[in-house]
Amino acid sequence: MDKFIKRLSVFVVFASFSYLLLIFISGIVLPDFLKPNLKFKKGSNGHLFTRVNQVKEYKNVDILFLGSSHAYRGFDTEFFKQNGYSTFNLGSSAQTPIQTEVLLNRYLNDLNPKKIVFEIYPGSFENDGVESSIDLITNDKNDLNSLGMVLNMKHIKTLNSYIYAKQREIINLDKNFTEKKENKFDIYVDGGYVKRKPSEFNFYNYDSIPKKWRLREEQIEAFHRIINQLKEKDKEVILVYAPITKKNYQKFTNHTEFDSIMKSTSLQYLNFNSILNLDDSYFYDYQHLNQKGVHAFNVELIEYIK
Amino acid sequence: MLFNSLDFAVFLPIIFILYWFVTQNNLKLQNLLIVLASYVFYGWWDWRFLSLILFSSVVDYSISLFLKKEENLRKRKILLWISLIVNLGFLGFFKYYNFFIENFVEAFKFFGHTFQTSSLAIILPVGISFYTFQTLSYTIDVYRKKLEPTDDFIAFSAFVSFFPQLVAGPIERATNLLPQFYVKRTFDYDLVVKGLKQILWGFFKKIVIADNCAHFANLIFNNSTEYNGSTLVLGALFFTFQIYGDFSGYSDIAIGTSRLFGFDLMKNFSYPYFSRDIAEFWRRWHISLSTWFRDYLYIPLGGSQGGKLMKVRNTFIIFIVSGFWHGANWTFIFWGLLNAIYFLPLLLADKNRTHIDIVAENSYLPTIKEFFSILLTFTLTVFAWIFFRAESLSHAFQYIGGIFSSSTLSVPSFDGISKAAVVLLLITLFLTIEWIGRRSNFAIEKIGIHWSPIFRWSFYSILIFIIFMFMQTEETPFIYFQF
Repeated sequence: MDKFIKRLSVFVVFASFSYLLLIFISGIVLPDFLKPNLKFKKGSNGHLFTRVNQVKEYKNVDILFLGSSHAYRGFDTEFFKQNGYSTFNLGSSAQTPIQTEVLLNRYLNDLNPKKIVFEIYPGSFENDGVESSIDLITNDKNDLNSLGMVLNMKHIKTLNSYIYAKQREIINLDKNFTEKKENKFDIYVDGGYVKRKPSEFNFYNYDSIPKKWRLREEQIEAFHRIINQLKEKDKEVILVYAPITKKNYQKFTNHTEFDSIMKSTSLQYLNFNSILNLDDSYFYDYQHLNQKGVHAFNVELIEYIK
Repeated sequence: MLFNSLDFAVFLPIIFILYWFVTQNNLKLQNLLIVLASYVFYGWWDWRFLSLILFSSVVDYSISLFLKKEENLRKRKILLWISLIVNLGFLGFFKYYNFFIENFVEAFKFFGHTFQTSSLAIILPVGISFYTFQTLSYTIDVYRKKLEPTDDFIAFSAFVSFFPQLVAGPIERATNLLPQFYVKRTFDYDLVVKGLKQILWGFFKKIVIADNCAHFANLIFNNSTEYNGSTLVLGALFFTFQIYGDFSGYSDIAIGTSRLFGFDLMKNFSYPYFSRDIAEFWRRWHISLSTWFRDYLYIPLGGSQGGKLMKVRNTFIIFIVSGFWHGANWTFIFWGLLNAIYFLPLLLADKNRTHIDIVAENSYLPTIKEFFSILLTFTLTVFAWIFFRAESLSHAFQYIGGIFSSSTLSVPSFDGISKAAVVLLLITLFLTIEWIGRRSNFAIEKIGIHWSPIFRWSFYSILIFIIFMFMQTEETPFIYFQF
């Protein structure tokens, strides 16, 4: 038995080092299709790399925006600046409460916002958070918060991507990386907002069958942890359900379930799908506002913030 | 509990430590721990069905004790029948009730009579076909006086519920496994290391081969009307490797896990896709079931005694019953029938035991003749798997119709074809390793034993890396759990 324990321990150490080495080699050498459980793409549609680089320059803002692409494509920091508010938008692609928690732990104290506008979308609560975790791991620093997130997610893709991103971080492989602020469709605006260039409505083939949001327990738990943390820190929080197209909104039948979770927090909860009446001309796809839509949305929102 | 789950990754080391550090000096405690662990393992899926295993254990244990005392042949037969009725009754109810009801209704409708019946929403207890056959083997062997019945209920319960092979085999014979519970197991380094290697290879088969093939097999079979012939051929190929990787992978993990606890289970697969004829295939595929049917059905029916006609009849019975064992669907029966038809020419020509050795045993590569024999057998097997995988007989015939059309000459076309190419690459790697290791109990058993540890360990590390790099991220149960 002693021999077994000794040799097994040595093998575990050997295999672990081999694994780290193979992750690094495959990350560098192999094309994506040969490493399906390892994702690493510095820079992304959500401009998270630029955003987290910029966040360090912001302190004591009036408003902090949190949430998914509905947040970073929905809360126009430029518009709020024109109206006398200093803001920062910490939204990221497909951000779920699990990633919001990591970002808050990392940046809340420095940003020290007076108000927090937390964009909540049922789709974020039914998402496993893998896509957003990898976005965060790849484009932001990896501290104990992200390690905790990776271990809690128990997802091999997230784990492999974390290992590879950490290796690159340690040997400073991306020190010269820069992300363009403008691409074919979008322009990054200082403060974290991403402005969509004028484009046609991207037709979405709606499934006519009514659906229900399947909210994940772990996302609801993360959401409540965030709310409790913000309450403990005496932060004023507004929960905002940003507009999506009517057809998309009406396809889902269990809005009351989601609304009741939001209302249970006793925070101000604004569902702009009920407050505003926007047709498809305000959107560039089935769930994202175009600049005209963002303007209409923000004009209304600022009234509640005042 | 699934072998390929985090739950099992925590469960197995805990049981291993308790077994070798806490209960190592006491046979009763070792067996009791195995029973408890097995009940936890099974109850993880649905604790309610533990009562079935317990009831089955109590019935067969009691009947065997009665059989021990009873010498009257008529009374012995009655006792055996009670065991058969109880065990097969449960199996029949849970697995075949709806099938028979629906088919009786259909049959009577055909003759102009209609019945008002309704099928029941019955949950099929995982592994019922496996542990039922295992307990039956015990009672039948006791009845035949081939085995001394046990007085030790804990040892018997451990035999019935032994967690590594409880839900998908190998279906152990009481004569092989039960006596292993009578002797205290002592830690055997070589056996445990061999077990770990077999577990590793089992995971490779399941996670890298079966689960990746499953994605494309499901895509193509579930939408078969939308694809051209060549894509359907690929779909059948993917299923062929899915089912082999899945089931033999499970068996490897089961046998390897048993070795960690000092047990030696029977071999269940022996490189079936390298078989040179269909008879050899059936000596290498799901060996524990084939030999079960041989010992408890084929031989009692007369086996190969008597004339050719008797042999043919018994062979057809065995294959059809074997097909039906897999599930309550005509597709399985047809699959069994098709294999019987494949087998028939060999039987009639007395060539069903031509290939009992290992292919190319003393060379690196097969001869041309061997290569084409393997290819032909493999093709026949792939064709038969279409019936096994199809939802219904009409689906199977529609699928085959698609294959035998002019579109088979066109290029395969489906979503993710580049990913499918990677899976084909993995299958090639897998077949290469299997070919190299075909003389061993499992493919990687002897690979690297003469290398220096650093190379051997690097080889295992690369296998582990491939497993983690290609594993599916959602839960993927084993196919044979449904049987």
